[in-house]
Amino acid sequence: METATSSKRLPRNLILFTAIGVLLILSISMAPAGFFTWMRGRLNVFSTVFLGIFVEAVPYLLLGTLASGLVEVFLDRDQMSRWISNRPVAAAVSGAFMGMVFPVCECGVVPLTRRLFHKGLPLSAGISFLLAAPVLNPIVIISTAAAFGWGEMLFWRVGLSLVIAVVTGIVFSVEKEAGNVLRPALTLSIEHDHAEAQSNDSIPEKFRKALLITADEFFEMGRYLIMGAALAAALQTFISQSVLLTVGSGPVLSVLIMLGLAVLLSICSTVDAFVALGFIGTFSFGSVLSFLVFGPMVDIKSVLMYSQVFKRRSLLYIIAIPFLMSLLSGLLFNYILP
Amino acid sequence: MTKRLYRSFQGLLLLAICIFFAFKAANGQLTWYINSRFVPLTIFGIIFLALLSQTVFNEIKRSRREEHEHDDHDHHHDHDHAPASLNLWVMLVPLLIGVLIPARPLDSSAFSTKGFNTNSPLVSGDSSTQIFATKSEERTVLDWIKLFNYEEDISQFIGQKASVIGFVYFDEALGENQFFVSRFVVSCCSADGFAIAMPVEWDDAAALEQDSWVLVKGSIDSIQLTDRLSPMIVAESVQAIPIPEQPYLFP
Repeated sequence: METATSSKRLPRNLILFTAIGVLLILSISMAPAGFFTWMRGRLNVFSTVFLGIFVEAVPYLLLGTLASGLVEVFLDRDQMSRWISNRPVAAAVSGAFMGMVFPVCECGVVPLTRRLFHKGLPLSAGISFLLAAPVLNPIVIISTAAAFGWGEMLFWRVGLSLVIAVVTGIVFSVEKEAGNVLRPALTLSIEHDHAEAQSNDSIPEKFRKALLITADEFFEMGRYLIMGAALAAALQTFISQSVLLTVGSGPVLSVLIMLGLAVLLSICSTVDAFVALGFIGTFSFGSVLSFLVFGPMVDIKSVLMYSQVFKRRSLLYIIAIPFLMSLLSGLLFNYILP
Repeated sequence: MTKRLYRSFQGLLLLAICIFFAFKAANGQLTWYINSRFVPLTIFGIIFLALLSQTVFNEIKRSRREEHEHDDHDHHHDHDHAPASLNLWVMLVPLLIGVLIPARPLDSSAFSTKGFNTNSPLVSGDSSTQIFATKSEERTVLDWIKLFNYEEDISQFIGQKASVIGFVYFDEALGENQFFVSRFVVSCCSADGFAIAMPVEWDDAAALEQDSWVLVKGSIDSIQLTDRLSPMIVAESVQAIPIPEQPYLFP
């Protein structure tokens, strides 16, 4: 199946690439002299920002896919159903806290969630895990505390992430048929012909299979990480952030701008607290909080990675519910604590 | 694409990314992309990528051996479905960008979208006591801007000796014998970098090149650029230096 679609896709891509190439050459040959200096500058910004996101994210993606590989070989479906309840609220809450056991950021959480769904994790638990784990995990809690101290910012960041994740999880528990939410690749077994886990495998054999799965998923998810990083870098290369920052006043607009910035910057949740620290002083508490809550759930690269796991309609809910709830909480804070 | 061909490319690409990162780590250019705090994580990544590519190469050997055995039994199995080959080609993108586009840290070409600050509102609000403890010649551009931002009485700094490094940026806001010495401040990776700049008064300013790195020595003065006073250096010497190993400041 997959080979058939990819071989069909290749010629079409080739035509597309050639067309883009020809257009590029044509437009470059007609460009004025100043264009090249300008272009070199843009190219420098693009490549440095792109590689910055990539270099930063690769270790985290590796850890996430390793966790996924280990889950595949060491965890079986029976254990899963023993640990996670099938009642929606209980499942959503326990899903949200699973990040304390699997410390992953928003890059690593996607392959892991997909694997857990494959192992029979209920929808509500998986979705609240997906949204909460990038904040509710020891590494992020410590890095947030390092940036803001053990105070209100940390408390509200963790609290709101938990609430939003659980609510979104519960919303999805209405859907009984996982096939309506998840992309079909999941309901089929993900084929790793030589890497299928067998319970009678020896421990080194299990690790070998886990590493092969890690390698495969690193490529599969890396593809979306790279596309997301390229998009984020392109936006940073051509869209002025300083305009955003200078118009960033007013209780409503400042929250919207911080939410937009969270999506645009696409920084890993393990380090975004240090970035957010820089906004304190320019932006209100509520706006920075909304950045810290929304960024780990939705940004350019994570949305591209989610699109591998969820069908389009579900993806829309996964973006919209956290967006509206982060916006709302940011606004509430701005009006209560001006 | 057969599974084995996929695996071969996969192993090669893993190795290539591993070597690319290792190369960047060896020549000190990792900090052109990320905060030095995260370098150990990248080192872990390099080791893990090497392990993964080794595992993939072993798997190729193993499948070849297995096929050999299967041939003996005249037993073909035809379930060699490889994942989408697009996964592989996309992984080439960072390598191509890294190899083909000459590496340069962020410079003034990023100002048009990222902007720059002379009295940074984006600087985190930690206390300036630590900066007071550092000798004035050891303070960075960021330290000076923070001091001017947080201290009520800036007259105490006027005339203090300063020695800072940064890249040259010419701006219309300044006079002909002036330029900015600028640095990017990076909390996490170059994606969140923002620039800070400090004006320098130097009679030979016109001889300098945009974005070239310099060591500026002189004494502190103040200048009105926005609604607040910004620190300025009246230079005694401006010396060209190579791009430093850590071009960014890590707050």
